[in-house]
Amino acid sequence: MIYVKNISINYSNKKILNNVSFRVIHKDFFGIIGKNGAGKSTLLKILCNITKSYFGNVFINNRNIRSFSNKNFAKIISFLPQYIDTTLSLTTYEFILLGRYVYMNMFKIPSNDDHVVVKKVMNFLNIADFSSKKINVLSIGEKQKVLIAQVMVQDTDIIILDEPTSHLDIGAQNDILKILKYLTEKHNKTIIVSLHDLNAAGEFCNRLILIDNGSICNYGTPEKVLIQKDIEKIYNTTLIVEKNPISNKPYVILINKSNKKS
Amino acid sequence: MNKKTLLIYILVILFLIIVTSLFSLTHGLLEISIIDAVKILLRKVSYVDNTVLVIKYIRFPRIVVSCIAGSGLAASGCVFQSILKNPLADSFTLGISAGSVFGVAVALISGIEFSSVGFLTIPIFAFLGAMISVLIVYFIGIYKDFNSNKMILSGVFVNYIFSSIVILMFILSPINNVQFAFGWLIGSLSQFDEKLIPYIAFIVLLGIIILSLLGNIINVLSLDESKIKTLGINVEKNVKFFFIITSFITATTVSLCGIIGFIGFLIPNMVKKIVGNNNQILIPSCAFTGAFFLLLSDTLSRIIFTSILIPVGVITNIIGGFFFLFLQFFRSKKNIL
Repeated sequence: MIYVKNISINYSNKKILNNVSFRVIHKDFFGIIGKNGAGKSTLLKILCNITKSYFGNVFINNRNIRSFSNKNFAKIISFLPQYIDTTLSLTTYEFILLGRYVYMNMFKIPSNDDHVVVKKVMNFLNIADFSSKKINVLSIGEKQKVLIAQVMVQDTDIIILDEPTSHLDIGAQNDILKILKYLTEKHNKTIIVSLHDLNAAGEFCNRLILIDNGSICNYGTPEKVLIQKDIEKIYNTTLIVEKNPISNKPYVILINKSNKKS
Repeated sequence: MNKKTLLIYILVILFLIIVTSLFSLTHGLLEISIIDAVKILLRKVSYVDNTVLVIKYIRFPRIVVSCIAGSGLAASGCVFQSILKNPLADSFTLGISAGSVFGVAVALISGIEFSSVGFLTIPIFAFLGAMISVLIVYFIGIYKDFNSNKMILSGVFVNYIFSSIVILMFILSPINNVQFAFGWLIGSLSQFDEKLIPYIAFIVLLGIIILSLLGNIINVLSLDESKIKTLGINVEKNVKFFFIITSFITATTVSLCGIIGFIGFLIPNMVKKIVGNNNQILIPSCAFTGAFFLLLSDTLSRIIFTSILIPVGVITNIIGGFFFLFLQFFRSKKNIL
């Protein structure tokens, strides 16, 4: 479905991504992991057609993303950036409705269909109760659900999210990732997500890529990517990788050597 | 805020505008009764005396001009703040008003007049001047990478440069009248050309209607840069379009009454706190509130100083300035307002 072919990009003579290639298949829950500054956000911005000055090509269903108009592209891919200003004094409903922009008429006045979609998504995410609440007074967890709702109402086959669970407690993290998993399984969406939490990545993603210094280190199922020596080397820390006894997925346990029993 | 609350808000402001207008018509150096004033406006009097002349040719046009200018400046300030995501943006801080006055000064001093539309020469020059400022500020703002702070900072300096050039032009020209230049630079409602009023009222009103109708596009432009780009909007094309519409509104109001500061900055920031950031609601609310604020300021300047002519810009700057300082005590930690 998505084919990333030999992507490279430099900023001020520094290589941010170096010859990155991978494929994402339909209905994939695809995770991108790597330490801070590894190039995850840059890669996502390239996939979303935000950053365009790169070498290499990205194809969606065999069509180069450079050839899409803004409008057509917005009907295929929606994006949740890492940082988003939620200080605007818009109601939750007004804010989510902006996600329907690409479907609106010339004056960008929402149609009945737009309102139906927004209400449906808000009910699905259990946020209908605060539709008239201002977005700037919501808690971080609630805000994140609103941002996901805005992405969902755009109704695209591919959803790309840049660290959607950062700053959230584990309960809220779990909620968000379960929603995303549900979207791939029940609504045939393809999800590409960058994550810091390796355990969440191992538990929820079908496939992962591990990036270090702009290059792909490991690529494949969580079992193939979350390899103890590779993770230890890249993150420069000591850890062990075990199997989750319930899900059989790999999980990472950090070790503080000074706590080691003698 | 829903549509019903918006309607109530606008009706309240409209009521205040009517009350202030009646007060403004009847008070000043010459006291006139409300009944007489209304009769004169409705052309129910057959005589012509000082009262009729004052109402018809001085006070009423002044009320109309203050409402046009106040609404236009507040609505354009609101749009600039949204599309640049910066509460300091308005046609004054972006140097667009000063560019317009520069255009006005060129037209006045050179004496150029377009033969077919002579009296529209000044607004046309004001618009050309505004576009010079927009081009400078816009291209500095987007040079290398887009940055609204850079744009506003350049605007402040463009403002200084054009204001100083205008003063210099008036001193060196045969007009040699600093007082006159000062009237344009600080904003005055006592030196406008009456013939321009219907044309400029039409342009400003049309501009405000277009901006309000396209409020949802402005809403999207007020989101984060990386988010907007994936919503299917052509950011650059739309930003340029809104810059042109708002510059047109600014230039036409400036060609009537010069640079009236603070309205484009203060009114949107104040109204946002009441009606929120939805531009479909915010823009018309700002337009009505701006009209009321300028009308009130002008009325106060006429009532308090009956025997001398105080440019209305002096009053808006003082009220606006103190109000801004006062707001600092109630602002949240994150916001500058």
